[in-house]
Amino acid sequence: MSVTITTPQSVIYCGACGMPPEYCSYGPDFETHCVPWLKSSHPDIFARLHGIARGAGIDAGGGGSSSSTSPAAAGPWTTRERLAAFYGKYMPEKLDGIDAILEKYEGKEDKLFLALVRKYGPEPEDPYYADGSDSDDGDDDEDGDDGERDVGERMRDLDVDGGKKKRRGAAAKKVNKVDTRVIIQKISRNRKKAVTHVVGMDTVPGIKLKDAAKAFSKRFAGSSSVKEKEIIIQGDHVEDVAEMIVTKFGVSEDAVFFDLDGEFVPYGG
Amino acid sequence: MFKRFDASNDVSTSTQVKASVQRGIKSQISTSHPSITDDILDELLPKKSPLVQYKIGPHLMLYCRQHEGGGDEPVFFQHRDGPILPTLKFVHKYPKLEFTNVTVDKGAIPFMLGGANVMCPGLTNAGGEMPPDEDDKAGLQKGDGVVIYAEGKELPLAVGFMTMSSINIRKKNKGTGIEVCHFLGDGLWGTDDIQ
Repeated sequence: MSVTITTPQSVIYCGACGMPPEYCSYGPDFETHCVPWLKSSHPDIFARLHGIARGAGIDAGGGGSSSSTSPAAAGPWTTRERLAAFYGKYMPEKLDGIDAILEKYEGKEDKLFLALVRKYGPEPEDPYYADGSDSDDGDDDEDGDDGERDVGERMRDLDVDGGKKKRRGAAAKKVNKVDTRVIIQKISRNRKKAVTHVVGMDTVPGIKLKDAAKAFSKRFAGSSSVKEKEIIIQGDHVEDVAEMIVTKFGVSEDAVFFDLDGEFVPYGG
Repeated sequence: MFKRFDASNDVSTSTQVKASVQRGIKSQISTSHPSITDDILDELLPKKSPLVQYKIGPHLMLYCRQHEGGGDEPVFFQHRDGPILPTLKFVHKYPKLEFTNVTVDKGAIPFMLGGANVMCPGLTNAGGEMPPDEDDKAGLQKGDGVVIYAEGKELPLAVGFMTMSSINIRKKNKGTGIEVCHFLGDGLWGTDDIQ
């Protein structure tokens, strides 16, 4: 029995605000960010939380008492209402088959609406969003998604080759978002003494700052500490550190830079 | 307590918790949350991988579980000699665990999300809930740690400790009833792991 209790559950948190979806409506960006996110990624939860909530006249959008039959701005449309509005405008005779269509396209509603727009024409506006400043809501969702995907791809292009092999693991998703870049800088502490700053080791996948600092201190036989994501090594080891980062931590040479008086000079070149 | 908490700045030292201290922590948790037995706790916090204790300021301790992927996941925290409280992410992860809990009414939710303490009427109004009192024995003593749920919601939204016993809350029905330590959206909530 205790096995069932102690197995961790994965909890869904809003991609826009990070709260559990049921608490999203108290946040400032609920209508602009959370609703579109929830609608596109978890339509079932959206329907359960806000479809019902609105029917019962509770929280969503502060709509209050208006019943679910009147489409007037009580809250954003559910997927079903959106589809009903679409068919109502272009093909009223198909209205009866909505449930079957919804079932068929469950989980890929985005595609359904894209196809419909292509076949019939622009989607009818959700009156809930219509009184806001910018209107066409459905398309907005899709555009937003595409935009994110583009950014993701661009990020991936930026990634350096050295890191790529390591990133197939569980942490791949998290790491993909940052591109690795390590900057090494010599700072003179005193006329004769210097310290070496290494910035950006936290962008290297699979390495803890503390462990890296420890490795540096071992290699250079001096103190090495972590301060606000920055590793400070006693002594002037600029070249050696760069070499070590490339050979030991497997960072690509293109991702290691020297900071010479504010100018970034790549290590490889 | 954690409203402006930032893991990269506010955490000072980390130490591995001794096995004997870890045993003490577990026994404290199981006495203050009766439905969580030692067996369950042993499974959640295996003896093999010790807890890591982070200090936040002079009096606040954060206990973290070691992760496979590196970094430590905060699971419990304790202020001075107060009750040991679970973090919300941890409570959400194991919904079947029954911590000692109360429910606040709907009207209190927006205030709670801003980090406010729970006022007595939030617990005594329709929709609010506390363990029942039996004659002279209060369902919740002053100082007990509780997980705070909200009316009509599945997931808890804060954790805190009682500043009055549940008998007094029902009788006086005025002022702060629970002091909130950690709530949805605060700094600790935003901390998934500590490096």
